Amino acid sequence: MSRLEIYSPEGLRLDGRRWNELRKFDASINTHAHLSDGSSYLEQGNNKIFTLVKGPREPSQRSQLDQSKATLNVTVNITRFSKFERSKASHKNERRTLEIQTSLVRTFEKNLMLQNYPRTVIDIEIHVLQQDGGLVGSLINGITLACIDAGIAMYDYISGVSVGLYDTVPLLDINSLEENAMSCATLGVVGKTEKLSLLLVEDKIPLDRLENVLAIGIAGAHRIRDLMDQELRRHAQKRIANSSKK
Amino acid sequence: MLRLIVPGDKLDIDLTKNVSLGPGVYCDPRTQIIQPVNAGIENIQVGKRGQIVHIDYDSKRYVPAVGDFVVGIITGAFADSYRVSLASFSSPVSLSYMAFPNASKKNRPTLKIGDLVYARVCTAEKELEAEIECVDSTTGQSSGFGLLEGGMVMDVSLKFARNLLFDEKFPLLRLLSQHCKFEIAIGVNGKIWIKTEDTKDTLACYKSILDCAKHPVNEHASILKRNFKALLNAIE
Amino acid sequence: MAKDIEISTAEAQFIVGALKERYRLDGRSFDEFREVKIKFGNEYGDVMVEMGETKVHVRISCQVTQPYEDRPFEGLFLISTESTPMAGPQFENGTNTSGDEVLISRIIEKAIRRSGALDVEGLCIVAGSKCWAVRANVHFLNCDGGFIDASCIAVIAGLMHFKKPDITVHGEKVIVHPLDEREPVPLGILHIPICVTFSFFNPQDTEENIKGESNQEIAIIDATLKEELLRDGVLTVTLNKNREVVQVSKAGGLPMDALQLMECCHKAYSIIERITDQIINQIKEDYKEREKYKALLSSENARDAS
Repeated sequence: MSRLEIYSPEGLRLDGRRWNELRKFDASINTHAHLSDGSSYLEQGNNKIFTLVKGPREPSQRSQLDQSKATLNVTVNITRFSKFERSKASHKNERRTLEIQTSLVRTFEKNLMLQNYPRTVIDIEIHVLQQDGGLVGSLINGITLACIDAGIAMYDYISGVSVGLYDTVPLLDINSLEENAMSCATLGVVGKTEKLSLLLVEDKIPLDRLENVLAIGIAGAHRIRDLMDQELRRHAQKRIANSSKK
Repeated sequence: MLRLIVPGDKLDIDLTKNVSLGPGVYCDPRTQIIQPVNAGIENIQVGKRGQIVHIDYDSKRYVPAVGDFVVGIITGAFADSYRVSLASFSSPVSLSYMAFPNASKKNRPTLKIGDLVYARVCTAEKELEAEIECVDSTTGQSSGFGLLEGGMVMDVSLKFARNLLFDEKFPLLRLLSQHCKFEIAIGVNGKIWIKTEDTKDTLACYKSILDCAKHPVNEHASILKRNFKALLNAIE
Repeated sequence: MAKDIEISTAEAQFIVGALKERYRLDGRSFDEFREVKIKFGNEYGDVMVEMGETKVHVRISCQVTQPYEDRPFEGLFLISTESTPMAGPQFENGTNTSGDEVLISRIIEKAIRRSGALDVEGLCIVAGSKCWAVRANVHFLNCDGGFIDASCIAVIAGLMHFKKPDITVHGEKVIVHPLDEREPVPLGILHIPICVTFSFFNPQDTEENIKGESNQEIAIIDATLKEELLRDGVLTVTLNKNREVVQVSKAGGLPMDALQLMECCHKAYSIIERITDQIINQIKEDYKEREKYKALLSSENARDAS
């Protein structure tokens, strides 16, 4: 494999971004109005993700019933065609997928006001149509949008982003080529605060550089929060306009 | 004289006189042979009406028996009873809404899931779910049963709990009272609830009781002293 | 899902209340790691780690096998972490798909295998056809919290202690020399990752945690079982002595201020330094004990020396 220049001396990355630039962020909500109670479609760079929220609804099994709060389930369906090469085996029962699901449940458990919906379940279904690095971050953004669309009470936005560390330069919102070439961290940031709900570092990062990486990540996540906010407000305006016409 | 006995041993009883059997002793209904079925200390009392024999054995899992004082956790509420757990991973017992002082159809108890109760086992058929009550059924009074508010609960072995509750000579409670004021509820299901006025004292009691459960009686005084002292020093 | 351990409200309130007053049930301070006891068995790569009541046993084994087709120059390294009812009645046989258990095995996997702690290229015998497969079997023997920390220490100590049989290669033919015939060779360890787990408690209400500026959340190191059952959030940091963060996992839970998380990482560093030294020293001592009679038993052949 030829050596790719991840970060050129001029300060440009593989796809022409600078170190602190996000990828194209395109979101829409209420894409599957009949299928689910809340839905979103998110394109973050080449990540393409559908998120469907169903609930709060009656649990199908009694074991899912919790007297004090709603039960939250997250299923992540990473399609076989989501990567450059079609994968032979299904990703359904991979440990990585299970880990992502558990992490997402635990991230949103503390942020959704589940105590408002006792004795119900909220199912979140995610379909990853295409993936290109920083998947967990995009999943978080998709769920946040879809939950707001579903009208589930929550404390604040959670925005996710991944940051790579190339030598000493932190690179914001990395794609899969960058992800494979360097170590990276994924952050889930609560609203406009500096609080992290989720933090995953999977490869070696010098301890003294970690703070820098987190700082860039938080700034990037705040930017994503604003982009999500814009889209939601735009959508809301449209709905208001539609309803006042009648 | 303490005599250790294991299943299969011969009991030291006079079969020509009346014998009452206690825990750990079994009488085969067909052959009428009396034999020990648990390993422990043989305990025979000879009274006017014959002999009473039981084996004082230690175990971890509690099996409900009528008349036992127990500490339980409310784990569920139904139409007319609570479900109470006496030990993790054991079958639950039920606590009827009518088994409280001044209970009536209108006047329901207000316990919540997760609350601790002190109660007495009132029925314990091995085929059925055992039942407990928070009222002395002869007087209709609460007699100290009911909700245990605040405090801390710990798990000890059944033998230790029995010693603490029944053995007058067991020194631990008296020793504890020299160090602090406390309220205590001892369940023979191996749960001990303790409450003091201060977190620090509760913590010291908690650690002391658990430590004492593992050490012989003559070391108890020094264990208590050490634990209370350690916590006093921790403040500074 | 197996049945859970029941904890009463009073107990939960007391434990969290005591934490607010900076007391822990077992009398430790907030950032005190339990004493780690490491014992080596008779064989190489047989390790028992005890932290308080938590007990983990690790056995390292190896066998010759075929490498993966896409990685002909690398040996195989597998870590199997299966929790059985042996660790406590809350665990079930065969169902290792619950959230916690997947997280435990994934974190150990990331901390040791993914981070390249074991030199897998050194396990290659004949490129493309023969290599060593090293297997670490983790057995949880008793659970009182801190499974991740204990098993990480046990696996890495096991790998450092383990020796594989010596081999001779003649073209495609490989001779594996039994342990009593030739001195076995140790594995190549590239760095020593150690995990430290922090548990977070929220002393206030949720709104204060998310919106407030006070950052009053409590962080304790190396929680016991009861503290683990009651905690609101958890962070596992894996570091090595080169001041590298090998892995960080905070899978949701209580939102925490980024600076506080950084502080946790720095606190963890001093702990892993101490534990790393302890492992190295204990392995040295164990080898010394094994070779006590070496001088007595060995004899030199005069012809070899020339």
